[in-house]
Amino acid sequence: MPLTLRLALIAITLIYILLILRSIRRKKMNVSFSIFWIIAGIILIIFAIVPNMVEAVSKMLGFEAPSNMLFVLTIFIAFYLIFNLTTIMSQENKKNILLIQEVSLLKKKVEELEEKINEKKQEEK
Amino acid sequence: MKILLIIPSYNEEENILKVYKEIQKSKQDIDYVFINDGSTDNSLKIFKENNLNYINLIHNLGIGGAVQTGYKYALENNYDIAIQFDGDGQHDINYVETICKPIIDGEADFVIGSRYLDDTTSGFKSTFMRRLGKNIISVMIKWFWKQKITDPTSGFRAGNKEVIKNFAKEYPSDYPEPESTVTLLKLGYKVTERPVNMKEREAGESFANAWTSCLYMLKVSLAIIVDSIFRRNGGKK
Repeated sequence: MPLTLRLALIAITLIYILLILRSIRRKKMNVSFSIFWIIAGIILIIFAIVPNMVEAVSKMLGFEAPSNMLFVLTIFIAFYLIFNLTTIMSQENKKNILLIQEVSLLKKKVEELEEKINEKKQEEK
Repeated sequence: MKILLIIPSYNEEENILKVYKEIQKSKQDIDYVFINDGSTDNSLKIFKENNLNYINLIHNLGIGGAVQTGYKYALENNYDIAIQFDGDGQHDINYVETICKPIIDGEADFVIGSRYLDDTTSGFKSTFMRRLGKNIISVMIKWFWKQKITDPTSGFRAGNKEVIKNFAKEYPSDYPEPESTVTLLKLGYKVTERPVNMKEREAGESFANAWTSCLYMLKVSLAIIVDSIFRRNGGKK
């Protein structure tokens, strides 16, 4: 890998990690979610610093080109992430339904109580 | 015995008062609660102006979430029997007694009002494709649970206190009827059927085209299979 490309890769990854850290500080992302992204960034930097490692590993595993291994890896990780997100989404959806139901039931109760109070007030008058 | 009609209602402004009048006409002593599932028409106004008993969901939940709200209401207010009753005028109030009887007599925990149990009761039998779908679901339930449910998609159903408790806790969100029936079978409740009459929809529009029907069958089949295989002996009540 040419030096300029490596330097660019390192620079971009560093900016990317900074962005993640910023979003944690601004409470835009959970720390637990961000760990995944930070690890991904660190791995990218390692790849940029020692590109020979990628080549060696891909050869060992029998890939024809190192890029193939990277693609396969990325796709697997992406699949895993999306799967995870769908699970989380389903759970959040369930919580949402529960909240809507309970709030609606409570609203009904509150309205009924208000009516009762108003009736009593009118009786007293 | 405290009996509650749970009436989910989504954009049924033309049918609300019709259904309400029918309930008033019936001689039985039953309470009702409309669940307004985030209707975008004048439903809420009608509920308010006529001083009906209703729960207004603060956001649309779909049929499962709406019906479950009704079961939660039934549980909170200590009802002995809860009956799901459609807000679109399809169900016949005169059969409430029919489907309550097995529960009152202690013969069953859950009763499904069936269009297909005998040929004379119901004039309205739905379209060919729907009957095909329903038959497939029937066969699957029969195969897994050795019990014949002739009308697994019927939305006219009654449950006792135990069933209310279970449904308040856990109820599938879309296309809930067959799946919830399987859940009850799994938990060891006694499920039975009684013949009822259903009318064709009088007003409003039904949701059903080829694509949604296909999706319906897929989802329901998957739910039944997963429920039946994976949690077969899971937790008797």
